[in-house]
Amino acid sequence: MTVVADLEAGIGTLTRLGDAAVDIVVIVIEPTPKSMEVGTRAAVVAAEKGIARQVIVANRVRDAADLEVINAAFPGHEVVVVPDDRAIVEADRHGVAPLDMAPDAPAVRALSELAERLVPT
Amino acid sequence: MRVAFIGKGGAGKSAIAGTFARLLAQRGEPVLVIDSDPMPGLALSLGLPATDAGIPDEATVERAEDEDGPRFKLRPGLSASDAIELYAAVGPDGLRLLQFGKLREHVGALMRSQHAFHQIREELRSDRWHLVGDLPGGTRQPFFGWTQFASVVLVVIEPSEKGMLSGRRLARLADGEDAPQQILAVVNKARHPDDAARVEAGTGLQVVAVIPWDEQLADAERLGRAPIDAAPDAAAVRAVASLVDQLHTGALS
Amino acid sequence: MKIAVVGKGGSGKTTTSAVVARVLARNGATVVALDGDTNPNLGLSLGVGVDETERLVGMRQALDTADGEHATDWDSLLDAFGSDGPDGVRFAVVTQIDNPEPGCP
Repeated sequence: MTVVADLEAGIGTLTRLGDAAVDIVVIVIEPTPKSMEVGTRAAVVAAEKGIARQVIVANRVRDAADLEVINAAFPGHEVVVVPDDRAIVEADRHGVAPLDMAPDAPAVRALSELAERLVPT
Repeated sequence: MRVAFIGKGGAGKSAIAGTFARLLAQRGEPVLVIDSDPMPGLALSLGLPATDAGIPDEATVERAEDEDGPRFKLRPGLSASDAIELYAAVGPDGLRLLQFGKLREHVGALMRSQHAFHQIREELRSDRWHLVGDLPGGTRQPFFGWTQFASVVLVVIEPSEKGMLSGRRLARLADGEDAPQQILAVVNKARHPDDAARVEAGTGLQVVAVIPWDEQLADAERLGRAPIDAAPDAAAVRAVASLVDQLHTGALS
Repeated sequence: MKIAVVGKGGSGKTTTSAVVARVLARNGATVVALDGDTNPNLGLSLGVGVDETERLVGMRQALDTADGEHATDWDSLLDAFGSDGPDGVRFAVVTQIDNPEPGCP
């Protein structure tokens, strides 16, 4: 069984996990200082918990400058880029799954590739 | 006035609360911003450097064994006003920022500071300061009474289904025993002319302001700058100014 | 395989979790998606719709009120609180297996 747990925002739940309770922590970041600050704190906690693998999702990336900022904050990390994509905004607006509303949108394809990276088939 | 900003994570509470506080302070009003988010962010929207610091241990004493009440209380002789002078950061336009601190580990590390924070906030129900509170996203703190200091609760809502679902849940604060005098919606990142109507229909809340999607605010977020410093003439900032006008003149009370 | 998705509110955790869960399921895995937020939205991103998303939370809250006890193993949680999502993803709102104290920020 594969469990995908969408935790509450912040690091609170992560700090309450038992050591090595999960196999992979996916840290979702936007290229803003606020978002990256939470992400770097989460990375520290995850490392302290002995979680084997961390994958950074660089979300809503508009350009090379955005990506550079994230790479600089997480040197040596696996980083997967999800581009800024109006299709996600529209899906959210309507309360529909992005995978159903816009399966070929760049962000959706990037997230599908993330899934394959996390658990290769 | 005593205002609390709540809403789903990412709706833009801190950017709006920070801008609101600066605008009010720019009008010469004494503004105390209270930050109960264990994650950093609000300071940047205010134009202050982000720090982890909470209220130091010296501010509190441990309750005696035979005493009732919370485990830590403000030390004798320390009034809430004193505590603001000593422990609140001074920001641009003379505003003050009080936070119970930022987390890098288990929340227990902030417990003592949190007690001080609660008591200071409770005691400050006076006219000395306008209180502008920014809460972390979601329903946890609002449902546990952290908005009780406020007379007006503003729910920041993006015009998405998730935003409106969150808005419906938070609107339930109006039904509780300690309901605020007013709970109103602020639509943020609006892109369509019918967003306000949709949010009203979808949440049952009256929309008091509509802040448009604004690329300049998105840019300010990327730079980690306060919207009012990075883009003082932005449409979104002007929309927040109009919200300040409404509340400040008592148009809504 | 247990995957936890974390980040600042609004960064895209829920959208990420939902797409990853469904794609892994399409690739053949037995997938359980868990929403650990006290303001749960994962159902919307998974595509179960707003009514089902609200219903599940309501169910959880009713059970909480009823006996004050919380299941602490995955199977009981899924039986009591779960629902079937698209692509065969089993989905549950599991807001805090151990509830924090009310004063907890």
